Amino acid sequence: MDMLKTLSARTDQAEVYAVQSESTSVSFEANEIKSAASEEAQGIALRAVVDGRLGFTAASGVVVEQEMIDNLLASARFGDTIDITLPGPQAAPEVVSYDPSLAEVPIDRFVEIGREIVDALRSVDDAAQVSVEIERTVAQSTLRNSAGAEVSEQSSDISISASIERVRGDDVLITYDAVDGISLDDGYRAMVGRLRARMERAKRAATLTSGRMPVLFSPTGATLLGLPILLGIDGENVLRGTSPLSQRLGEKVFDPRLTIWDDPTLPGRPDSSSHDQEGVPCFRKALIDKGMASSFIYDLKTAALMGTESTGNGARSLFSTPSPSPSNLEFAAGDQPLADILGGIERGLLVESVLGVGQGNAISGAFGNSVGLGYVIEGGEIVGRVKDVSIAGNIYEDLRHLAALSRERYWVYGQMLMPWMLLPELNVVCQE
Amino acid sequence: MDRDRISAALANSKADYTEIRVETRRTTRIVYHGQRLETVSNVVNAGGIVRALVKGGGWGISTFNSLDTLPERVQQAYDSARVVQAEPIALADVPCAVDDIRVTLEQDFRQIPLTDKQAVLEGYNDILLSYPRVIDTQAIYADQFTTMTYANSEGAYLREERPMATTYLMATARDGDNVQRGFDGLSVPGGYERMLGLDGLARQVGQSAVDMLSAETVVGGVYPVVCDPKLAGVFIHEAFGHLSEADFVYANPQAQEMMQIGRRFGNRALNVVDDGSLPGLRGSHRYDDEGTPTQHNALIHEGELVGRLHSRETAAKMGEAPTGNARASGYRYPPIVRMTNTYIEPGEASFDDMIADIELGVYACEAYGGQTMLENFSFSAGHGYMIRNGQLAERVKDVILSGNLFTTLANIDAIGNDLSFSSTGMCGKGQGGLPVATGAPHIRIRDVVLGGR
Repeated sequence: MDMLKTLSARTDQAEVYAVQSESTSVSFEANEIKSAASEEAQGIALRAVVDGRLGFTAASGVVVEQEMIDNLLASARFGDTIDITLPGPQAAPEVVSYDPSLAEVPIDRFVEIGREIVDALRSVDDAAQVSVEIERTVAQSTLRNSAGAEVSEQSSDISISASIERVRGDDVLITYDAVDGISLDDGYRAMVGRLRARMERAKRAATLTSGRMPVLFSPTGATLLGLPILLGIDGENVLRGTSPLSQRLGEKVFDPRLTIWDDPTLPGRPDSSSHDQEGVPCFRKALIDKGMASSFIYDLKTAALMGTESTGNGARSLFSTPSPSPSNLEFAAGDQPLADILGGIERGLLVESVLGVGQGNAISGAFGNSVGLGYVIEGGEIVGRVKDVSIAGNIYEDLRHLAALSRERYWVYGQMLMPWMLLPELNVVCQE
Repeated sequence: MDRDRISAALANSKADYTEIRVETRRTTRIVYHGQRLETVSNVVNAGGIVRALVKGGGWGISTFNSLDTLPERVQQAYDSARVVQAEPIALADVPCAVDDIRVTLEQDFRQIPLTDKQAVLEGYNDILLSYPRVIDTQAIYADQFTTMTYANSEGAYLREERPMATTYLMATARDGDNVQRGFDGLSVPGGYERMLGLDGLARQVGQSAVDMLSAETVVGGVYPVVCDPKLAGVFIHEAFGHLSEADFVYANPQAQEMMQIGRRFGNRALNVVDDGSLPGLRGSHRYDDEGTPTQHNALIHEGELVGRLHSRETAAKMGEAPTGNARASGYRYPPIVRMTNTYIEPGEASFDDMIADIELGVYACEAYGGQTMLENFSFSAGHGYMIRNGQLAERVKDVILSGNLFTTLANIDAIGNDLSFSSTGMCGKGQGGLPVATGAPHIRIRDVVLGGR
């Protein structure tokens, strides 16, 4: 039984999206291996246009075809009346997002890596409680539609994350990091290095007085500044008019050194693919180009409603309709070595992580967050960890002028390639 | 899935302990975005999880969608458990639960036509859109009916029907670059009747978005703060409740010291409870996801730490009794220690008493979001008001509270007499969202750091 044929006969346009994946994971808790797990997932999502209205349904488990079709047609009776055209077969770039050797790695190797990470982190501070998650996923999705598109994407993903909790009296250090890729390599050792550096630096305490001062954001800390931009270029928010960037395409909004690309074609990244999850070819584009708002991201539906073309950013999970989502985000590197940037700060704050990224009215650009892990910089040196500090500002003012961007970058949580960013002045509040 | 197949799979397991949980969830969802009816959908999500223990091993877990492969999944969980060479895991004894829990809904949402649901939601959305300067709305109706079957190799067998009906409303108002939101909702394990008659809620949401446009950003600094029940409830869940979860302390001597039973956390008026057995709240169930009956668990009594929350595993590890707090966010996850309905018990103060002697302070209402890092927290209030000379004054926005949990709990100096429970709570904790309720009366806290310009 071919659902696409059945649907094509009864609807104007139809799409069948099937996903299937196998995962294997091990987790370490409190320095010890805790569990091993396997996951099998499969399901089908359907979309169809009937009398100009778009319907959706999805199911996992035992799929009852008739129930699915009934649900789809019921949904379409109420669906959006939008002029959406499902793409036919289209030329797309070759993108490497699958490494067959990953599936062959034995689970014992993951256990070994987990132990190596635990040992490396405990050697900095044996009071540290280390948790590690290692997960391998091999997935396949197939998208077929009534316009003749037939797109199969295979992907492999290994994600390794580690978190540390160190409690001494009421003094607590918690820090987390993660890497991912399509192949198992030693990238996790760079993550271990970052975590070790944070633990070392947190051993000394330092104090700060409230006021305006230079604030240096590590790549992880800088996600606080990046998030409102991502909300601003999201086609859904542009469509609704809630994005502060919606009327500003082509305008200089930020410092000319700020450039951000969305690049789904990067080889070897788990978020890379030749087509998006609606069958539209993917391509690299600047979202912010030398400080100028350059491109928004759209899926088929938001593009249709905005009277433009999909940018190949249609992303979906099994149970949700597609929506625009960035793929790999790359922030342009600066021209200064990190050491020089640090060396030039007389007195300031280094923000490694903050609490509550995205809470509050993030899309407005306003932020006000307590610093999770931060250090005092004095005379160009990191002198120790500072606690009970919060920072506040608005990226639409504070990113108009950057003091510096570092040459060095790393992938934050495997999603965003970011440099260190120095803001010349930010409001810092300390609890005395 | 029928009982015979589950029993047979359990009987054939080579593991020392095996449990199986299978769920089928049917969800109807209707979404308005502005004028647009964006989604009307029915989806079916079915799957299961097997968890196994072997001697000298840890947990082996297998999750799946294809329910007809249950014997293979049991074998896979057993194989995984054998990979985990670890300290043996013991499970505290609980009475072997056998139960079949059916619900009777006053108006069963599964019998209500989609057109009716859509018309009711459209009515709420129209109210939101009727406010001047409201440029966008989001109105969501969702009903979920989950049938859960749980069985383990000790002989427990539970079948439970879990309904959940939700209406969530948000309005976005804009004036130039100033974009503000109002939001509220109602989500209850109840019938369709609870989703009717919410016009008043819709009016509050619309009005709130518009009112926020004229609010000034609060001036950063240290203030006495009165929190409304919604914000206080979220605060006690996030900042304190998570530290009461025994999986945070059981393997960590320093954390145990920090959360030592008998430690003083606040003044004698402070009492905090987690209780999954309260009827009709979002975190309410007769049993948790390991078959342990839920119960009233005192966490702070008269300012002192008196208890914590357990799964069977953490209870055995710490030599304490299971509390019915092992919960899973669906079939993709094993149960871990989670809160249910967590609340601050009411005290004696009236709201007017609380603000009467505040010369300059802030009344912080509703929670936009929050995050904690153990003893450090950061919460965004939905909105707030200045308190000047004992009176509520102008509306303020971007009210973000941050500080240290221990100091902040100790600084609670008044507890109101007006306990109420939220009806929209979701908790993440490393898994997908799980419904919880949070509750509190108004509380007053001295010396809270508020961010701001």
